[in-house]
Amino acid sequence: MIRFERETFVINGVKTVVFTAGHGEPVVFFHGASTLEGFEFCQSWSERHRVIVPHHPGFGESGDDPNLTEMHDYVMHYLELFDTLRLDRFTLVGLSLGGYLAAKFASEHGHRVKKLALIAPSGMIDPQHPMIDMLAVPGEQVPGLLVSNFEVMKKFLPEKPDLDFMAERYREATTVARLLWEHPGDPKFMRYLHRIRVPTMIIWGDEDKVIPVGQAETWRKFIPNADIKIFKGAGHLVHLEKPEAVEAMSNFII
Amino acid sequence: MGAALRFNVMHFMPYVHLPENHKEYKSTWVSFPNKYYDPHKGLDLYNQYLSQLVLADKLGFDAIVVNEHHNTVYSMMACPSLIAAALIPQTTNARICVWGTPPNFTLPNRLAEEYAMLDVMSKGRLEVAFPLGTGMEYWSNPVNPATAREKFRESLKIILQAWTEDGPTTHYGQYYTYRFLNPWPRPFQRPHPPCYIVGTGSPETIEIAAEYGFGYASVFVTQQAAAELNDNLRQRAASYGNTLRPDQFPLQTWVYVAETQEQAEREFFGHFQHFFEDFARTSPQFLAPPGYLSTDQLKIRAEMADKMHGGFDFNAISKSFFIAVGTPEKVANQLGEWSVKMKTSHFNNVMHVADMPHWKTVKNLTLFAEEVMPRLRSRSTPSYRMAAE
Repeated sequence: MIRFERETFVINGVKTVVFTAGHGEPVVFFHGASTLEGFEFCQSWSERHRVIVPHHPGFGESGDDPNLTEMHDYVMHYLELFDTLRLDRFTLVGLSLGGYLAAKFASEHGHRVKKLALIAPSGMIDPQHPMIDMLAVPGEQVPGLLVSNFEVMKKFLPEKPDLDFMAERYREATTVARLLWEHPGDPKFMRYLHRIRVPTMIIWGDEDKVIPVGQAETWRKFIPNADIKIFKGAGHLVHLEKPEAVEAMSNFII
Repeated sequence: MGAALRFNVMHFMPYVHLPENHKEYKSTWVSFPNKYYDPHKGLDLYNQYLSQLVLADKLGFDAIVVNEHHNTVYSMMACPSLIAAALIPQTTNARICVWGTPPNFTLPNRLAEEYAMLDVMSKGRLEVAFPLGTGMEYWSNPVNPATAREKFRESLKIILQAWTEDGPTTHYGQYYTYRFLNPWPRPFQRPHPPCYIVGTGSPETIEIAAEYGFGYASVFVTQQAAAELNDNLRQRAASYGNTLRPDQFPLQTWVYVAETQEQAEREFFGHFQHFFEDFARTSPQFLAPPGYLSTDQLKIRAEMADKMHGGFDFNAISKSFFIAVGTPEKVANQLGEWSVKMKTSHFNNVMHVADMPHWKTVKNLTLFAEEVMPRLRSRSTPSYRMAAE
């Protein structure tokens, strides 16, 4: 297994940590609203690809910038980072909030995206299948919502109450609040989704307690050619609960 | 001659009729179902509380303090300016302190106007304090906690500009644009009513008070933290060239006076316990919405939180906070001692707690006014004079 190398860039003043492994056609993974569960799942892709995992500003090992107050600021951040990394065209994979960001990036800069894979993406305003407002969920209840089988979560959680762990989650929630507190949904995002014309795969767990699997069909309305795969018995972090989900993505991104 | 000691009565106007099953709720704030609010009982409570504050004016208290909270049994003053407006025609001498509406939950020009109205209507008796608002209020109002502190600063600037510069002026900021900032009426007091920042002592709010030369009304601050806060504020204010007077450090105390020590403790204790266990009961999540605190402050407060909200250990609390319960002599001595220690001449006394019945509150107010205030005001030992000067 190829190890990830950690590099630090300063993008428009923001410390940005990027993990990279492997060679070949580039694949970028956007993490979700927390760095809690890591990104080991995509390590196997490094055997055939150059896998690039940045930490978003305000998350994990990247720095904070309170001036990033809307999703579009993150699109701009990544345009600059990808230019710095000399990444012209790449496959983009995004999880949850990272899926929202990946879809937004692809709708605005489709020519740079070769393929798009979305894991239970957020961002959709779907009154029939509303997403849980994660900002309103008490911290201690969050891990239980993320998976169907809690055993999967355990290795990411401290055994005893841990102030530093709590503070790091609070910091990431603060970043999310800057983006979404007043307007958790942005109708403009959906307005331009139809511009996504690249091959797209959407995967979802049918027991997702954060974003109901019913939203998958709503995505299809905006991206009619999307290949939607539903995995039985999996929750929001379907890629951690079902190896088949990672395998499906692996076959897709080849 | 030293500055005169000043005695406030601060009221929270709690809704005291908690349902029998209230312990099933982790928090009596934010999400506590409002079906438990009975407006008929609320009416009686408003009348009772207003009469207590009117009595305080008649008894010679220097000031009446009201404040704002939302979605909670802790307080029925979602809009404290309304309470102030109700009090103004019923009172003559007491300063009317609205301490206060968080500027973030209204429009800055509107708050400047509202306070100017109260100041004019009271013939210049208004004092105001600007709170950021507790974390709980940010779950109850549609305002982003992650940008609350910057927005608060901008609001404050607008309000002071509205009061101190002849209009129309303009303001082009990050959160607000005013093409004609020109509020009518203007405050009765020039340049504006006395102002305080109110808070629990975060470095950010202390800095604002220091910069503007405002007083700092600390609430829910332990004795040790209050001493540090006051010293810190003096130093920070000096760095801006501002010298603060002893009356700009109002000290929040819980006071209960009775005929004997034993009687005072017996009459007070249950209500105080009820206050901490039930009226101040809230969750860590509600106390600190995302971005409301820096991560450093979050860690500090996470360790404090259990003590302050919902857990009750009377010995720990009575040592931690400024609580004076006993005979007039004992309470006078206690307050005198704190005045020297904290270098303040200003007592912000909470004299009604939780479900304390009307008769106890009336007795407490009367005994304090007739037995404690004269004792403290007649003292002019060098140490007290020094503290007050």
